[in-house]
Amino acid sequence: MKLWIKLSLTTVLVLLAAAVSCGAALIWQSLIYNQEKTMESGAGRLASTAWALSRELENGPMKGYSKVTKNSYINYTMKKFDASRYILIEDGEILCNLTPFELTDPGHERWRREEGFCVIQKRAESYILVAAQRVPAMEGGPVRTLVLAEDISGLYEDLGRQARSGLGIVGGAAVVSMLLIFLVTKRVLRPLKELQRAAQDISQGELGRRADIRTGDEIGIVARAFNRMAERIEDQVSELSKVSERRRQMLGSLTHELKTPMTSIIGYSDTLLHVNLKKQQQQRALWHIREECSRLERLGSKLMNLMGLYENDSISMEETDMEELFAQVERMERYHLEQMGMTLVCTCSMEGRRLDRDLFESLLINLIDNAAKASREGDQIFLEGTGKRITVRDTGCGIPQEEIGRVTEAFYMVDKARSRRAGGCGLGLALCNMIAHLHGAELEIESQVGVGTAVSVVFPE
Amino acid sequence: MKTRILVIEDDASISELICMNLEAAGYEPLPLTDGLEAEAFLREASCGNTEKEAAAGNGAARAVRDGAQETPALALVDVMLPGKDGFALMEDFERARIPVIYLTARDDVLSRVHGLKAGAEDYIVKPFEVLELLVRMEKVLKRTGRSRRVIQIKDVTIDLTEHTVKKNGERVSLKPLEYELLVTLAGSRNVAFSREELLNRIWGTDYMGESRTVDVHIGQLRKKLGFHKVIRTISKTGYRLEDLD
Repeated sequence: MKLWIKLSLTTVLVLLAAAVSCGAALIWQSLIYNQEKTMESGAGRLASTAWALSRELENGPMKGYSKVTKNSYINYTMKKFDASRYILIEDGEILCNLTPFELTDPGHERWRREEGFCVIQKRAESYILVAAQRVPAMEGGPVRTLVLAEDISGLYEDLGRQARSGLGIVGGAAVVSMLLIFLVTKRVLRPLKELQRAAQDISQGELGRRADIRTGDEIGIVARAFNRMAERIEDQVSELSKVSERRRQMLGSLTHELKTPMTSIIGYSDTLLHVNLKKQQQQRALWHIREECSRLERLGSKLMNLMGLYENDSISMEETDMEELFAQVERMERYHLEQMGMTLVCTCSMEGRRLDRDLFESLLINLIDNAAKASREGDQIFLEGTGKRITVRDTGCGIPQEEIGRVTEAFYMVDKARSRRAGGCGLGLALCNMIAHLHGAELEIESQVGVGTAVSVVFPE
Repeated sequence: MKTRILVIEDDASISELICMNLEAAGYEPLPLTDGLEAEAFLREASCGNTEKEAAAGNGAARAVRDGAQETPALALVDVMLPGKDGFALMEDFERARIPVIYLTARDDVLSRVHGLKAGAEDYIVKPFEVLELLVRMEKVLKRTGRSRRVIQIKDVTIDLTEHTVKKNGERVSLKPLEYELLVTLAGSRNVAFSREELLNRIWGTDYMGESRTVDVHIGQLRKKLGFHKVIRTISKTGYRLEDLD
């Protein structure tokens, strides 16, 4: 069953039960009250009638009357007092009964009691109020009791009518309130429907979909939480697809990078097998095969490095003194740079940091090698460390402005032919970038064509 | 009198590979390494064309012009070139009236279709086999009417227009299939052909004969032309007509 139906049905039933029981209690109470009232007024009337009757009989000229005359007189007197309600009993005999009822036990003891009484008798289809009262008499006089017998069915009929009309009112109210409750509940729960539609849309891939719910109630809170969740998911999915797009591009470049040396190797060996070449050409072919193979080998080991870095658990951070690190790098690069007629100028004013020594060394060496490739004989290369920033600066050929953004992509080379001659395979900066990221740092590249390039590793604050 | 072939390839090693093979097969390769260089070269070549047309009436001037700088008969072009890529160069080639064969590492159908639609004569995916490249080049040259008219091997001259073979100026009579075999071998000289390839190309793919047939014809050629050392048997491969400068 739907929630709104459940909620409204429960509410309606509870309301209905409450209304019906309240009405019943009210009607019951008013019945009791009315009975008491009726009995009271009956007793009151009876008492006054009895008293008046006693006066009448007392003062009346009854003493010398014969029995028949006396009876007639009493009848006559009784008629003065609305006699259709009263029965007069004298010494256990009915003296006068003008009511439509018949007193079955005039000799009963209860009629003789001093004090009066008052009861309601239920008959087959009617209620009768029966009240008795001794008629005050003089000492030694006959014991007379005046009995009031009155049909009070009207009272019950009235109440019954009231109950019925009350029930009708309650029923009507119930129908109206049911409708209202249905409408209100449905309205209150309508945002849930929107939430469900939003969830469905998102699960069908429409990740930009948000639940359009602006209520302040619990559903609104749930909707806001839901929207936050959807946002996170959208972000992560787009991040993931970006990553996979980068991987795809990298794989594409990798294939191309593999294909070029393969074309040479296959081509030259095929030529050696099938083509009649001069001795000198044969040597060239062999040399090319060797050269391309070593290019593949370099590519392989760089790739291995890159793959290794993807598995982050292989890095081990340790507190490192930067001056020592710079000195180490300088020792490793000195010979290599001297050969090309370049010098490395190191300045360091950095505090120690936590980093993976081996990785960081290879990052700096990569940057210095890049600088060396861009520089000419006699140039200087600067390695500077200050504050949160390590910079490798050269005065070489520079990188065109529009290419700076792409140089950290794997296999991207600004000048392919020159880079190849220098033994590059387009992975160096990609590798550096990744190492920097592993240390929480960013790579910043500033360059101007013909002036030089500065690549900085910037640590976060 | 060798046929000039333009080789536009940025990878030095592949460029040298192609040139080496073209040279061995008797072509004159002209290597260029980047798109802009190629563009400049083509502009000059198309200027030459118009001049030639202007001077069409003057046979002598034309001959002088041809001798000075012959327009390449064909271009082998890498698609991914620095400066200007191979597809973008197509217009310049058309203006210079040089047929193009693309050589590329990109073997997806889309770039293949793109290349051919742009007006390339053929599209070869790297890595390629030397013989395949030479055969396809020859087909394109034939189709565009730029094949060599005369092939000279040592003292033998093959006239492709008259279908005659002369040794030291004396006519040698060859049967049609022997002639075809000689032209095939001489067309890609210094490159080895397998017996199957020769059968396919000369006798046709539906020829059900044995590879012995090839051996018999080779024997005839060797005898008639005195090519016992020139046409060499390459073990496990086939035959090769050798003539290095």
